Amino acid sequence: MAALKVEWNDWCPGCGNFGILSAEQQAIQELGLDPKKVVLVSGIGCSGKIPHFIRLPVSGVHTLHGRALTFAIGVKLANPSLEVIVNGGDGDQLGIGVGHFVSAGRRNVDLTVIVHNNGVYGLTKGQASPTLKLGVKTKSLPKPNINSDVNPIALAISAGYTFVARGYAYDVKHLKEIIKKAIKHKGLAMIDVLQPCPTYNDIHTKEYYDKRVYKLDDDPGWDPVVKKPEEAEDKMSKAILKSTEWGNRIPIGVFYQNELVSTYEQRIAERSPSYLDNPPAHDVIEFEGKPTTDIEDILKERRVV
Amino acid sequence: MIGGAQGSGVDTSANIFGNAVAASGYYIYGNREYYSNIKGRHSYFNLTISDKPPRSIAQQVEILTSFDAETIFQHFNEVKDVLIYSTEVESTKAEQVQSMEPEITEHVIKFLKEKGYGTTVRDVINYLKKEKGVKVIPIDYMEILKKVADQAKVQLSVADRARNTIAIAASYKLLGLREQYLLNSITRTFRQEVFAKINTIASQLAMQPIQPMYNLPELPNNEEKINLDGNTAAAIGKIYGGLRFQSYYPITPASDESVFIEAHQTVFTVDPKTGEKRKSTIVVVQAEDELAAINMASGAALTGVRAATATSGPGFSLMVEGMGWAGMNEVPVVITYYIRGGPSTGQPTRTSQADLMFALNAGHGEFPRIVIASGDHVEAFHDGTWALNLAQKYQTPVIHLVDKALANSYSIIPKKQLGMENIRVEKGKIVINSSTPELKRFEITEDGISPFAPLGTTRIHYTGDEHDEYGFIAEASENREKMYEKRIKKLFTADKEIPEENRVNIFGNTDSKIAIITWGSPKGAILDAMEELESEGIKPMLIQIRMFSPFPKNLMKKLLSGREFIIDVESNYFGQAGEVLKLNTEIEPTHHILKWNGRPMMRDEVKEAIKAVVQKGERKVVLHGGA
Repeated sequence: MAALKVEWNDWCPGCGNFGILSAEQQAIQELGLDPKKVVLVSGIGCSGKIPHFIRLPVSGVHTLHGRALTFAIGVKLANPSLEVIVNGGDGDQLGIGVGHFVSAGRRNVDLTVIVHNNGVYGLTKGQASPTLKLGVKTKSLPKPNINSDVNPIALAISAGYTFVARGYAYDVKHLKEIIKKAIKHKGLAMIDVLQPCPTYNDIHTKEYYDKRVYKLDDDPGWDPVVKKPEEAEDKMSKAILKSTEWGNRIPIGVFYQNELVSTYEQRIAERSPSYLDNPPAHDVIEFEGKPTTDIEDILKERRVV
Repeated sequence: MIGGAQGSGVDTSANIFGNAVAASGYYIYGNREYYSNIKGRHSYFNLTISDKPPRSIAQQVEILTSFDAETIFQHFNEVKDVLIYSTEVESTKAEQVQSMEPEITEHVIKFLKEKGYGTTVRDVINYLKKEKGVKVIPIDYMEILKKVADQAKVQLSVADRARNTIAIAASYKLLGLREQYLLNSITRTFRQEVFAKINTIASQLAMQPIQPMYNLPELPNNEEKINLDGNTAAAIGKIYGGLRFQSYYPITPASDESVFIEAHQTVFTVDPKTGEKRKSTIVVVQAEDELAAINMASGAALTGVRAATATSGPGFSLMVEGMGWAGMNEVPVVITYYIRGGPSTGQPTRTSQADLMFALNAGHGEFPRIVIASGDHVEAFHDGTWALNLAQKYQTPVIHLVDKALANSYSIIPKKQLGMENIRVEKGKIVINSSTPELKRFEITEDGISPFAPLGTTRIHYTGDEHDEYGFIAEASENREKMYEKRIKKLFTADKEIPEENRVNIFGNTDSKIAIITWGSPKGAILDAMEELESEGIKPMLIQIRMFSPFPKNLMKKLLSGREFIIDVESNYFGQAGEVLKLNTEIEPTHHILKWNGRPMMRDEVKEAIKAVVQKGERKVVLHGGA
């Protein structure tokens, strides 16, 4: 096989994106996914370039700022056999795209969203992002941040995401396992990835996180998985409460998972039972140029005489 | 014409009436006018009945039927022959009708006072009788409704729902057509027995005392006829053309199309070899906004699926971002663009053709787009498929323009007029089974069109950044030039391949010194006006533009050369199609007939306007018809 074209990776040295890319690559490989069937959909910003830098023969759709999820939903619903992974920054997903981020939760389409959370808008030289806390002044801010922050974990859970987790870009092994779980999860999965930006975020550095992150799994009592419908409320509240922990200790791992909620694909199939057997992408709509769709029944409804 | 408060069943009764008339062998064109409101505001239906399919409505109507006061105040100057009214509102004064806009009330009062009348419905009736020779038919709705309640053994409040049926039954009787057809139409409309019953009794009681005035003969009904409004026509055209994904955000007057598709999302496809039917699914997603709607459609289109969205001006404003991405990534996506009055929220329920320039120019940067416009309901059906074909063939966004006057009006037409046998599905350069491990999705080619493979079949890359042939970000100047030109080239290829004859429709006398140009819904009113003008010795040619991009410039130049009159007829202020013509051909319209009050063009006002241009040389005639 001829060598595939790969773009030269132009992220800053030490960028947390390298860890995320590496974890994502390994997750796809370890799950044995057919690369042809994997589609990476990304937004705009440093993280948006991930499909160009991945060294696997997967497809990439590098979209618009904030809109990656909307494209991804279109791809997945038209062809549910594809594995669709969305990558976007915190500004992309929780700033300009926050409406889509929340709305996607209501649908629970079976895809994975990875939020590259570095607290700044890197590619435009370090403005404050939606996850930066009030009063924090990172390197290129002229004044301390005037906005409060949004909590991605709590937001995703309340929006209806059925798999919500946090990873850390410099713990590639742990992140890879989370990505694998997210991909395998039936429904909409969100991973908030803590990602140092060595160029513009001089507060949330590797040193900052290395000291603070701990794994939820280390607590044998932590069980985020909803096994019966009646457990959902309780597990959701515990996860949200846990997500507020930020300071000397920052938890990473799976906060919440509920596979009992129907996916959007299942909901479509309930209305139109042929959907999963004969999804739009596989349908034969013409034969030798003639439409194969039968509209006689529809026209009968319009018939007046 | 039938009018009444929104939510009082004006639509339903107009349909019952229309279907009964169709059963008698006649054809219909009907237009619905309504406020951006659910209940209480004035709405009305204006119908034209003819032995040949009519294509427009008229400002002056033969029969005005009403069951409230506002309909009379708003429309009494538009009735020629008969007014049917409710005795209950006889003493209602114009100033008492609170749902009426103050400006209209003032206008009505001023008019009546100038004529020496008071301001009650009774005064209007007297005016119509004495000065216009209009026949008036009073109906005591309450008396009939009490009888209905009594006979059907229901409460009066239930019987009251048949009020509108009484109005249309009385007017139907005037036509002299068979009563049974109306009763059949009622039973077909009301599935619930109790409503079928009260409406049947109400219509029988209403028809009893009325003497037929028109004595229309029953005509042979030897072919299948269907009822098509613009939203439904476009929807069915898209379904037939293989649409399998539609995303939308609710907006007037576009969402009816998406709702119709969702209601019919399970369709059958026929295996051409075995003839066996197989179930297919059209995915319909109600998105969170129009940004999402267009992008979901683009995402679906990348999997090889025929995908579209439907919207109106305010929604299209939001879609501009997504359309740019689709242009850059050569995505075959269709936008069915229902034009309503702008700017901003504008007039959500009224018609307009003011978004032509916007559709042609929206988006930053340069990219090819194809823009087509339907002029009647059959064209809206054809264009549903045509747009999908063009999108896949030229791998670029296609905008299909339908103005509100077409979307919410309907025609009763022979089914065979759909010409289904001529409809083809054309897909262009689609690679289904790619043998290469990665696709040069943006390969530089002679005609600018690159191979397309669905996501999932091979490695493919897309990006909104300028890119190389593989879809990787590339900023090098040489690549930029080539890739830029490759994209644009597709427009020239389309221009070369699509016969210009298919981009315009030509009607009337091609040797005439008068050429009328138009697009969209005014077509019908102009054609009907032309028919009436013939006896007055005015025999123009009409050129209806069907495609604005790529523009049929050579043919337009040829058609317009040497004409004394080039009359541009359209529903906007600037004469936008005329401007597009000028830009492409350096030929300018000599005269304009324009309308921007939000109401459709009507054949009688268009006829007078053409006369004013041709006989009096008026450079610009502005139309005002419609309440």
